[in-house]
Amino acid sequence: MSTTTSPPVPGARAVPGPGAAARRRPSFSGPRLQRVLLLVLLTTAAALVALAFMLPTVWMLLGSLRPGSQVISSVSPLGWHTLVPETWTLENYAALFGQLGFGRSMANSLWVALWSVVIGLALSIPAAYVLSVLRFRGREAVFAVLVVGFMIPFEAIAIPLAQVFTEWNLNNTYLGLILPGIGNGLAIFNMRQFFLGVPISLREAALIDGASELRIMTRLYVPLSVTTIINSALLIFLAQWSSYLWPLLVISDQAKQVAPIAIARTFTDTEFNFGQMFGGALLISVVPALLLFLLQRYFTQSVARSGEK
Amino acid sequence: MKRSTTIGVGLVLGAVLTTSACGGGADSAGGGGDGTWTIPASDPTATIDVVGIVDPVSEGMDEVVAAFEADHPTIDVNYQYVPFDDLNSVLDSRITSKTGDPDLFWVDQPRVPALAARGYLEDLTAQFSPHTGALQEATVAASTYQDKLWSLPISNSTQLLYYNLDLLEAAGVEPPSTDPAERITWQQLKEDAATVQSEGGAANGLLLGQPNRYYQLEPLPVSAGGGVGAAGEDNLTPAVDNEGWVESMTYYGSLFADGVHPRGIPAEQTNATFLAGDTAYMVEGNWMVGKLADSDLNWGAALNPVWEGGEPATPNGSWSVGINPFSQDKEAAAVFLKWLALDGESGYAEHRPYAELPANLAGLEAYLAGPAFTGSEAGQQAAEVIAHETANTSVPRVSTVGYIEFEEIIGRAFSDIANGSDPQGALEGAQQELVNAWQQYQ
Amino acid sequence: MTTTTAPDAPATAPGRRRGRGLATIVVFLAPAVLAILLLRVVPFVGAIRSTLFTREGVGLLAEERFSGLANYVTLFSDELFRETLVRTLVFNLVLNPLQIALAMVVALLLTQRLPARGLWRTAVFIPCTIPLVGSSIAWGVALRPDGPANGILSALGIGPQPFFTSPSQALVSIMVVASWVGIGYWMLFLIAGLNDIGEEFYEAAALDGAGRWRTFWSITLPMMRRPLLFVLVADTVANFVLFVPVQLLTNGGPENSTTLLMFDAYRRTYTYSTPNLGATSTVVLTLIMLLIVAVQFRLLRDRD
Repeated sequence: MSTTTSPPVPGARAVPGPGAAARRRPSFSGPRLQRVLLLVLLTTAAALVALAFMLPTVWMLLGSLRPGSQVISSVSPLGWHTLVPETWTLENYAALFGQLGFGRSMANSLWVALWSVVIGLALSIPAAYVLSVLRFRGREAVFAVLVVGFMIPFEAIAIPLAQVFTEWNLNNTYLGLILPGIGNGLAIFNMRQFFLGVPISLREAALIDGASELRIMTRLYVPLSVTTIINSALLIFLAQWSSYLWPLLVISDQAKQVAPIAIARTFTDTEFNFGQMFGGALLISVVPALLLFLLQRYFTQSVARSGEK
Repeated sequence: MKRSTTIGVGLVLGAVLTTSACGGGADSAGGGGDGTWTIPASDPTATIDVVGIVDPVSEGMDEVVAAFEADHPTIDVNYQYVPFDDLNSVLDSRITSKTGDPDLFWVDQPRVPALAARGYLEDLTAQFSPHTGALQEATVAASTYQDKLWSLPISNSTQLLYYNLDLLEAAGVEPPSTDPAERITWQQLKEDAATVQSEGGAANGLLLGQPNRYYQLEPLPVSAGGGVGAAGEDNLTPAVDNEGWVESMTYYGSLFADGVHPRGIPAEQTNATFLAGDTAYMVEGNWMVGKLADSDLNWGAALNPVWEGGEPATPNGSWSVGINPFSQDKEAAAVFLKWLALDGESGYAEHRPYAELPANLAGLEAYLAGPAFTGSEAGQQAAEVIAHETANTSVPRVSTVGYIEFEEIIGRAFSDIANGSDPQGALEGAQQELVNAWQQYQ
Repeated sequence: MTTTTAPDAPATAPGRRRGRGLATIVVFLAPAVLAILLLRVVPFVGAIRSTLFTREGVGLLAEERFSGLANYVTLFSDELFRETLVRTLVFNLVLNPLQIALAMVVALLLTQRLPARGLWRTAVFIPCTIPLVGSSIAWGVALRPDGPANGILSALGIGPQPFFTSPSQALVSIMVVASWVGIGYWMLFLIAGLNDIGEEFYEAAALDGAGRWRTFWSITLPMMRRPLLFVLVADTVANFVLFVPVQLLTNGGPENSTTLLMFDAYRRTYTYSTPNLGATSTVVLTLIMLLIVAVQFRLLRDRD
């Protein structure tokens, strides 16, 4: 892998340096004090960035813990109580899980999103693999179709597609919710980009050992690409998790309705409960946030470069 | 490459053909349905699908459905709640798939002409016209288009001028009146609101419940002599740039420019802002009465303001329910519709008490006798105002097939004016946009 | 064709394996391609077809009649639509590079060995997990003229800003909301890319005496080309089809300053129920996206 747009990279990709296993960023050289100072500075910066992104979320969280109408009455003038409730209450969450049936909707959303991820990955990984390692006629054309596929705004095709689903009797079924999420061109594109970077010598060696393509994919490419596969899974998950228009069009049975629509039940044409709405929005965000937090430990330095012998 | 391209083209072509074969040309425009059905004397056995914007639990629609099923045990109602903002999308998708689902659905009254013209509504004239005497006339008119009845109204609405009595007293401002002879003018209201701000310490002088929405603002140009916004045959000639409109909208803009009405507060935040207690006046719908009765606010209610030298005008209208022309169970649907809107005090009003102003006359009477309206002096004032305005001053929104575009375009002009655009320019722009948008109906 | 693709693909399999190779390709590729064709491309072809038809009457039940490019003429002769087109392009030309640059900065920061790194990453990521409906409404309250954002600005001595109520600030405010949501999302993919750069490159650069800045430009950035291409393309698509904050916060105003193409298409399709014009607007949008994405592929293509 040589580049033409930048100065030559020391050490081509296929020939990794000997120190790969050391796992040490070389930039922290210099006196110890300087290193500590830099760490403090960078940590402060990270905390500030995190705070900037969290502040609106924290405000929403605290808003969901006050009586519904106080969200608005507390915004002005700015003071301590803009952020911290005067009266703490769980009534919004009680209403969400009680009369709004949020628990059921969340379970439905989770079911749909998880199946979409499983089927979506089962479809996308082989496609990305073939598109990045095999050469064949029409490869570019197929890839172009996938790219166009994810550029099509779903809103533009939702109504005609919903009518097709009606004809196929997929209304009010989980399958009807899952299907539109499984063909995710963006996930394929993401994994293709990563697979392209896996040294080709690894695959060639495996082929000489008589491994099949399926084996090379599952035993070599997948383990090397855990971070990217997690990202692709999150991509499919979030697309389904936040889907709103589609469930509205194909689901009329309240028992099968999904969480984003339950949020819409916190406001009507004349009523608006900010506390409930913020609470519902945050409940929805908890699952993917938790997933990311737990999957962090797989976000390691790739073993791709050191795995080659 | 060549072969796969050929296959690709083949697939795509096949797709086009399939789509055009099944999705394309619809049979015929305009209301389907043969109109041969009647309201049956005895109940059929059926399950009907109903799409509405009333929440099954928090707004009690489940209880309405249960009460109906108890009265009519052979008919099952499968009610689906759809958020108000998405009703249009859901109807577009469901009705045009022609499966007959939903059998009945909620209709925003000013949209009746538009939905009738799109063929989404069954003509109910033969079956229901003889019975509409039980309903408020204005709501029946709003459910009618080109002399045909397209839906039955279940609710109505009006606007009241609410005030924060404590703030008014602190500023020494006389509360506005419930006496039609003493109705406050918009001009006076602005002055008083500014006084309560400067003398009574109110943060906001005046709030409109739904800023920038035609429903809320229609009384201004009408009262100022500018009309409802359209004229000519079928109300398809926009008329939003005449003197009455420009004058009243200049007034509207000045409310914001002079700091009497705060900028940037969307409709969903206004009620909570008024209930927070630092706003002097609010013009808002009847649904505010219940919220005020539940609050600690020392409030009062008065007649909607009138333009200086003009005729009083108040908005009206709310929701109707219509039948899908492709419904397979029109007779069962009709039984439910009749029960919902007509029977007794109307099933909808009886089993969803105090939620909305009933369109049914007997229902309205019972509604205004309820505790929210009799329990306090302010509640009694509200009842008096509602009874007077619905009977005497209400002006329906413009009845036109182009209502959806009208509401959207004029709403944007209102919003621009509130944010400081020149009213004349904004209205002329809207006029031009409307001319373009309505070309498809000419 | 067989001879022109990148050399990082293996040499063509010998003849006897050809049949098996083709079977592998079909089996691996067909499910995904079929799903995308059936659930995306085919309906979209239907939408493209509908741009060539107008309706005899109004609404989706009205009969369609072939009318050539009449819908395109209608759109392009509308001055408001042409303005929307230009606005959408400017919006994306400003927002996309900005978002990616910021996401890159955050990703670089959060790939350093810091205490509680996972926590900081999750904090930045959380906004994109909150449904846009909820976060848009929350931002609407926060950016009210008398809201907390202005309270903070006043406390800092900057003075209150009009935000969504001013034609000159509304679009920028939408960009802020979109970035708050987007940056954490794109950060994830950039972190994956950064983690994939072998230590040996940094060590070699350090041996050459290259500073951080030079290392970034000569090692990190070139090695990030593939993930960057993905993020650039995906971010472009995401921002071109963005409309929920516009719909909820400004409804396209004030003075049309936030009317973007996707909002226009959505409004024509769902609010006005004019599916043919809505589809035409969407097709124009998709064509523009295609063009830009094609350029991005060219700029960041693999040349090895």
